Amino acid sequence: MLLTYKNIQPLITSGKNVFSKWIGYFGLWIGVVLLLVSLQLFINIQQLLKENTPRKSGGYDFISISKIITNENMGMDNSFTKTDLNKLKLQPDIADVAPLISNKFRVQATAGDLIPFSTDLFLESINDNFIDTIPPTFSWQPGQLVVPIILSSDFLEIYNVFAPAQDLPQLSQKTISSVNIILECTGPYGKQNFKCNIVALSDRINSVLVPSSFMRWSNWHFMEDTTVHASRIYIKTKDANDPALISYLDQQGYHLNKDKVKFSRIKSVLQNIVSALGVFGILVIVLSLMLFSFYLQLMIAKSKSNLRLLLTLGYSPQWLATSVAKTWLPIYILIIVTALIVTEILHLLFLQFSFVSNAELPYLLHWIVWLATIVLLALTMLINLRLVKKELQIIL
Amino acid sequence: MEIHLRKIKPEYFTLSGKEVSQVWQHDISIIKGEHLQIVAPSGSGKTSLIHFIYGLRKDYSGTILYDNVNIKKFSTEDFSAFRQNKISVIFQDLRLFENQTARENIEIKRVLNPYHQPGAIDRMARKLGIENKLNQQVKICSYGEQQRIAIIRALMQPFEFLLLDEPYSHLDEENKNKAMELIDEECDQRNAAMVFADLKPLNFFTGEKIVYL
Repeated sequence: MLLTYKNIQPLITSGKNVFSKWIGYFGLWIGVVLLLVSLQLFINIQQLLKENTPRKSGGYDFISISKIITNENMGMDNSFTKTDLNKLKLQPDIADVAPLISNKFRVQATAGDLIPFSTDLFLESINDNFIDTIPPTFSWQPGQLVVPIILSSDFLEIYNVFAPAQDLPQLSQKTISSVNIILECTGPYGKQNFKCNIVALSDRINSVLVPSSFMRWSNWHFMEDTTVHASRIYIKTKDANDPALISYLDQQGYHLNKDKVKFSRIKSVLQNIVSALGVFGILVIVLSLMLFSFYLQLMIAKSKSNLRLLLTLGYSPQWLATSVAKTWLPIYILIIVTALIVTEILHLLFLQFSFVSNAELPYLLHWIVWLATIVLLALTMLINLRLVKKELQIIL
Repeated sequence: MEIHLRKIKPEYFTLSGKEVSQVWQHDISIIKGEHLQIVAPSGSGKTSLIHFIYGLRKDYSGTILYDNVNIKKFSTEDFSAFRQNKISVIFQDLRLFENQTARENIEIKRVLNPYHQPGAIDRMARKLGIENKLNQQVKICSYGEQQRIAIIRALMQPFEFLLLDEPYSHLDEENKNKAMELIDEECDQRNAAMVFADLKPLNFFTGEKIVYL
């Protein structure tokens, strides 16, 4: 059929007051930009902080707690007992608990001829599941003279800060694995030197970690002591910022490393802000669609007699509704496409200026943003069509 | 297609036994190719009857059937389909878009379901003597000219029934005959029925059915 909206366009007058229409378009554009940008930002923050949070893995936070040392309990045994651990495990917010077991014998470390330094050292071991970077070489069996070590990356950083002042070479993460360290383990029941290799650096655990098997063997071998003294434990929880968990730990007199949860706090604050922005975007979209509906009502009321005559002449109400609604399609597409472009530009700016540099974020918008765009366009058109149909029904 | 009127009567009418109507509360069938004249003085319900048949009003008792289907059961979409293909009308009050030109008024009907090429508009306008009015806004045309525009508009589509409600009230004898010829010609082409409501019988046709309201 030759029939297009152009044939009836002169009969559907919007009146001279098109101001509300343009305000509506502008509002819709702002709303769509806000929604898409906040959606993309939300995803960016989610991905960036996920990639950069070693404590977080598989949706869990790993945080260390210790007992608060006060003047009253100073000098007493402040390690966690088995009962303490079991009580913690029963907490609904805590998925798992692992003690950090330390050495009871004396350990001295020397770095051989390359780096002429020697220091007293402490060693700790923890359940492998709690270590963020665990290479397959991190294991030890009695008789093995080489002990693998996982070192806190903070320690490497501290070393690199003071090394130049002490005429020691600075070390990169890669070269540290080639440094030969000799561990001198001394106790009342023996003395032995071990060669050790730094097999990984951990961002999660601030310690010098050795395999649990080595710790058990050496504590027995040098001290003949198998009791477990854990002054520090790690807990695995869904959300380290859960107020219920924090208040429980406070009640128990446990000290939580606040620094460690700061990152999560920033993330949740950022996500709340971005979510609020998204909700605001939705609100603006709803408001502008309402403005549109007023404009549409006005338009249809003004063209009432013409529309009624068109229906009398045999024009189908369905065709009229679809044709009238379709006239907004180009402007809606324009609004959505320009909003997408703005979102893409803001996303690229975010990548360039974001406080966390991360090469893993793609340059293109996330597929959820594309999906949201399509859903938004479909929804807007559908609402529009329904509005026109409803208004036409009224005049029929 | 056939149209049947089954004992219809406007709801607002109270018929006394003395009145004689051959339409109200009677059964009338209109079939393709037939000419039916409905003759009645002003105020006896001619326009109402045309509106009932065309489906614009439902305030009547009895039933009107298109091909044995009660039109009161039709949806607006059903009526649209009938008004595009089967039934056309010339209203007494013309119902034109006043701010549009004569051509635009006719074209808006033509494009809906084209039976004629655009050239037919000029040909018919020439025949009815309004070819120089085609590009003029309807609101500045005389009533007689507007009547002729409405006639041409009604002839732009395919139809099996043409309803005419006092279509020549403002035409002189010569123009009336020209219009009648054109309508007759177009109805013949389509083998369409003509339902003609007027104040008195027309002497243009012979052999048509005349009923008095």
